[in-house]
Amino acid sequence: MNETLTILLESAVIGALIGFGAGAGVARMFHAPQAQGMGAFRTLGELNACENDPIAHFSFGFGFFFNAWASTVGAGALSGDVDHRIVPHWAASISMIKNRNLAETLHNPRRMAFTGAAVGVVLISLLNTTAASIPHSLQSVASQVLGPASEWLLNPVMPIIFWMAAVDAGRRTGGWGTVLGGLAHIVMGNAVPGIVLGIVVGKGIDDMGWNRITKSLTAAVIALFVASSFLRGVDMELLEQMKIGVPGWLHQLHESTGTAGQ
Amino acid sequence: MSTTDIGVSDDTGEGKDGGRPRPWEGGFWLSEWAFPLFVASLAAGIFAGTHLYYTYQTGAFNEVAVVALLKAGMENGSYGAAAAFGAGFLFARIIEAPMVGILDIGGSLQTGVGIGIPAMLLAGGITAPLEHFWLALPTGAVIGLAIGWLVLVIRRATVNSPNAGSTFGADVMMGAGNSAGRYLGPLVILAAATASVPVGLGSTLGAILFYWWKKPLTGGAILGAMAAGLFFPITK
Repeated sequence: MNETLTILLESAVIGALIGFGAGAGVARMFHAPQAQGMGAFRTLGELNACENDPIAHFSFGFGFFFNAWASTVGAGALSGDVDHRIVPHWAASISMIKNRNLAETLHNPRRMAFTGAAVGVVLISLLNTTAASIPHSLQSVASQVLGPASEWLLNPVMPIIFWMAAVDAGRRTGGWGTVLGGLAHIVMGNAVPGIVLGIVVGKGIDDMGWNRITKSLTAAVIALFVASSFLRGVDMELLEQMKIGVPGWLHQLHESTGTAGQ
Repeated sequence: MSTTDIGVSDDTGEGKDGGRPRPWEGGFWLSEWAFPLFVASLAAGIFAGTHLYYTYQTGAFNEVAVVALLKAGMENGSYGAAAAFGAGFLFARIIEAPMVGILDIGGSLQTGVGIGIPAMLLAGGITAPLEHFWLALPTGAVIGLAIGWLVLVIRRATVNSPNAGSTFGADVMMGAGNSAGRYLGPLVILAAATASVPVGLGSTLGAILFYWWKKPLTGGAILGAMAAGLFFPITK
């Protein structure tokens, strides 16, 4: 079979699968914590920022579409925005054209799953087969305007918003959020996951005190931080920057597991 | 709490079937056991996307920098960096997901299932699921089912356990997540103004027009910047 045709057919199947899953998951986010959702806090915030307006949803996804197109041409990478931004926003836009009732459109997993699947088929096929034909001037606007803006949103704007929310939610939550936020930025390169876990631990202790659930939660969080700092080689970095020699066995351990830092 | 407390309306009374139960109180689409199926669907697509990248060099669902980790492994055979990076994210997101009610697609599925697990398979010499499309789909689906199931198990043991008197601050995080998006419009205008003068002017004009038309200014800022960029390309 012709290679382009193979890519086109496989892309259509892939697009239907990711659109279906992401559409349903994103709609379920609006029913959290009662239902388990799938997406991201920034996806939730951006969907709300478009305030129930089909044109706003479409143009938001459209901007990232060019970004994804540009990244596909350059590196074959569709960019993380496909599942987080383009599919949710275009599915929302399409399902809102005739009906502005949120409960029946954006917040309805069935409608979002099927609309998402349709968007996915077209989007992924288009990205994988036509990436080379994108106008260069739009490509540069996408990468030089939307790129920095979404980077600033991820860091530092979102960490600060979550940090302030943690601090305003009480002394214990603020304390845990601050410590885990700072550590997360060191270990994972972004403070948001740490602050979120800080809010989880702090609020859990506020509401229930130290019981089996909060204790195992805290242990899991500590294990997570220890494991990720080892996997990303932060322990060696710390020793080096404190001008303490890295012991030979530690270096060998990192070498043999392939975790000697990025 | 209900999601109404954080400014998101779940009003179902306006439709024809006014007064029906709130969405999470019934039905397949918001039921607990449907969740692993949605994760499986998305994970199958993402894993098959990595297959597409492995065979045809296009279609991986991730940022260029992360895909580069996998690419480095495909070229020189050392998959350690990609595997560790992906596994770390996957682990973190599976713990976080049941607590906050949202499984992060980027960290868990795009990076964990799309980069980390393929890197681990390739490091172990298993190439078949990445070479064959019809093997990639079920592999991804099984991994997705396992992740979805694990999230539900942790969720039952913590947030949904009978003696849990806490939502673990979900309301605090939803509030922060909701307000984060409002910052995007102004950030786009700032980035456009930094990129070039015509693009900055276009973005500002687009934003103010949308604001006057009572539409969210983010959309106007993006369309304005793109329209200006089409006529006055950024030269840098």
